[in-house]
Amino acid sequence: MTTNDAPLYEVRNISKSYGSVVALDGVSLSVRAGEVIGLVGDNGAGKSTLVKALSGAHQPDTGEILLDGEARRWKSPHNALEAGIETLYQDSSLAPDLSVSSNVFLGREIPSRGILGKLGFLAQKQMDNEAHADLERVGIAVPASNRPVSQLSGGQRQAVAIGRAVSWARKVIILDEPTNHLGARQAKEVLEVIRAAKAKGLGVIFISHTLPHILEVTDRIVVLRLGKVVCDAPTSDFNVDTLLGTITGLITTAPAE
Amino acid sequence: MAILGIATTELTQTVAPVPPRNRRIKDLLLNQQTILFLVLVAMVVVFTVLDPIFFSVGVFGNILLDWGPIILIAIAETFVVISGGIDLSVGANLGFSGVIAAYAMKSLIAAGIDDATTIFLGLLVAAATGMFVGYVNALLINRAKLVPFIATLATLGAAGGMSIVLTGGAPIGEGPESAIALSVPWLGPLSWPGIVVVVIVIIAGLYLHKSRFGRYTYAIGSNSFAALAAGINVKLHLTRIYLLSGLLSGLAGMFLYIRLGSGAPTSGTGNELVAIAAVVIGGVALAGGVGRMSGVVIGSLILAVVPSGLIIIGIEPNWKQVVIAFLIAAAVSLQALRTSSTRRSK
Ligand SMILES: Nc1ncnc2c1ncn2[C@@H]1O[C@H](COP(=O)(O)OP(=O)(O)O)[C@@H](O)[C@H]1O
Ligand SMILES: [Mg+2]
Repeated sequence: MTTNDAPLYEVRNISKSYGSVVALDGVSLSVRAGEVIGLVGDNGAGKSTLVKALSGAHQPDTGEILLDGEARRWKSPHNALEAGIETLYQDSSLAPDLSVSSNVFLGREIPSRGILGKLGFLAQKQMDNEAHADLERVGIAVPASNRPVSQLSGGQRQAVAIGRAVSWARKVIILDEPTNHLGARQAKEVLEVIRAAKAKGLGVIFISHTLPHILEVTDRIVVLRLGKVVCDAPTSDFNVDTLLGTITGLITTAPAE
Repeated sequence: MAILGIATTELTQTVAPVPPRNRRIKDLLLNQQTILFLVLVAMVVVFTVLDPIFFSVGVFGNILLDWGPIILIAIAETFVVISGGIDLSVGANLGFSGVIAAYAMKSLIAAGIDDATTIFLGLLVAAATGMFVGYVNALLINRAKLVPFIATLATLGAAGGMSIVLTGGAPIGEGPESAIALSVPWLGPLSWPGIVVVVIVIIAGLYLHKSRFGRYTYAIGSNSFAALAAGINVKLHLTRIYLLSGLLSGLAGMFLYIRLGSGAPTSGTGNELVAIAAVVIGGVALAGGVGRMSGVVIGSLILAVVPSGLIIIGIEPNWKQVVIAFLIAAAVSLQALRTSSTRRSK
């Protein structure tokens, strides 16, 4: 898939404080269609806070959000979801007591046909079948989509969360440490999912502490330190050592672009 | 294709394909609904053996009349607790709505309005009063950011106190005289209000388990951030739940008015604990996200059978508190047992 030059999704000069803690301090970042951005930084650098601003879960104190060049404001995650932006949060975005399919369709339930649907009743069978098909299409074989998520292993839960995000995303997909809880082989499979999303023309923002994964799958890397972007450069400019140095602050000059 | 082979690889290791037979029997026996139903049947059998009069349409009719207001506020509590909250105001709200409706009906009768119209308008007043208290709960929780326990404790005090202040503690009568007659059973042990309650139970169960409203209720109680992240308007849904809780408390107030022929300010006092007991005995988790309406129905029936049963077999009725306390303890420890045997941590 070709990488378009105009940014698909962009934030400019975003700031966010929790009381006296400045979590984000004038952060700008953009992703193009068919591009994978790696977002890295130490714990507490502000990555998850940035994700929540991008997904509408938090309102930034200042700054602009642009989708397809148009200024947008997310009052809640609902607005961002409707605009085609899907997010996998670092802490589980699943409701453990609900079934796999109820989670996949959460907030987007299919109503029953006819009068029952108008009264608020749901087409559960249809959702079970479609959730199963959706997860299989992404490559996730979950046995019974009516099983509660609480009965799945950590890896399976993560698979359901990734599958849900991938199958609903229309423009942008944001993955906050999606390889947590996963073994080495499963993490490789998540990287394949990211490549598939890129091939579909989605903009991908991928957060991970596993630097080889970042180097392997991203086109560009944005490094956050203490709430500020300290480096934004093509992935080809980095190796593990220079990337680690940039994250920890041992290397202060950005690599040449 | 298997891009994410996660599930396929892990499943073969962690999930047994079909539980063996004795495992399934154990699951069934540990199933709270099954146990509850057996407890209910056992109670009826024991009371009947001790005094055959217990097994009669007359006694069952009375039990169902006792059950009416209990199940209405227990349904309210079911939605609230599954959403991760608690509503301590249901009992006080029941009494308050009954009193306000009683004043309204007293004025209407004094103005020469006929009984049927008066009862209908009284029903609307009780419902509106209940929903008003529910709305205040929602405002305190969503706007003032109080936890549900504190918010509804405040409205419990306010509604209970206002009922006493308004009435001076005395029941308000002089309403429609034919109201009491409505409570007479005519369909086996069922009276008109009883039939209405049964219909409400069925509709509430369908909405809890089959509708978007119920789905959001479970989602919020299970993980409210996940619900928000999925695009659900969590505050709006909680407002609807506390409005529903208020509405059902108001209807319970009217039910009791019809039964007693007056609105007594203290008629709901302590009933919030009975409702919470019914919900907990019925298998609803106080942490939210878990529970079934069928369990709550049986739990509330057990609570309605205990006092009548104790009276029939000649035991001092105050023992009922002790029996209920025992049932709650048993239900909660059973829940803990089940959780540790079948569920992983949240
Ligand atoms: N809900 C919150 N309340 C207060 N402080 C928070 C909250 N969330 C994050 N922070 C603080 O904001 C900073 C950035 O955190 P976070 O965005 O989670 O970083 P990262 O995801 O890069 O590890 C940290 O100092 C963290 O302690
Ligand atoms: Mg984080």
